[in-house]
Amino acid sequence: MKVTVKHWHAVAQWRWDTGGTEPDRGGDDEEDVCGICRAAYEGCCPSCKMPGDDCPLIWGQCSHVFHMHCLLKWIGTPASKQQCPMDRRPWVTAER
Amino acid sequence: MASIASRRLAKELSEIKSEGCPVGIKLVKADDFATWWFTIEVMGESLYQSEVYTLQFRFDAQYPISSPAVQFVVKDGLEAPIHPHVYSNGHICASILGNEWSPVLSVTAVCVTLQSMLASCKKKERPVDNDRYVRNAPENPKKTQFEYHDDSV
Repeated sequence: MKVTVKHWHAVAQWRWDTGGTEPDRGGDDEEDVCGICRAAYEGCCPSCKMPGDDCPLIWGQCSHVFHMHCLLKWIGTPASKQQCPMDRRPWVTAER
Repeated sequence: MASIASRRLAKELSEIKSEGCPVGIKLVKADDFATWWFTIEVMGESLYQSEVYTLQFRFDAQYPISSPAVQFVVKDGLEAPIHPHVYSNGHICASILGNEWSPVLSVTAVCVTLQSMLASCKKKERPVDNDRYVRNAPENPKKTQFEYHDDSV
């Protein structure tokens, strides 16, 4: 038998490497959403229209992850005292 | 931009509707993304046995970056619980509503915190400065700079 491929579609999937329980992240919703806006990491923050590199995630040294725009909005307020919203430790962005 | 608050509140509301509120908390009214009402009851043994109170949440467009304005409803026969951190006008002195607010907190998390604040109360009494505070209190409790003392009650 001879098969001739006439046409094909490439399908790709992406997700941020949050260092969680890859590849399924345990199916726990809590782990898949930004704690500030409650939208999926792979979605975008409420100020953006398109997910992806333009709406990246930010990691703290404390291991907590947020949409970068969400975290910066929080850190930009005096009320934040520049603390991580999860553990109230001083926010230090982790090198990735 | 108002949509940030309304999108997050829409998520919280659909979670409440699909999973229900924590025990002792009931949603009374959430017709918009500005003001929500809940009833709160302390379950189990406490000084507030079988008493039901109404909590009002008011959100601004910056929620959850900015904290909600939360107070007990004191009108139409409703009263605030008698508690050392609750003023008779319904205003609540609780650090998570002020300088310890965090955007990862949610409406139900606040309800549960206030529920346990009531549950752990040892003596029903008004704050010592109740009369003075209520006389001069701003309409919105967020405008008050509370001093937080005494986490034990």
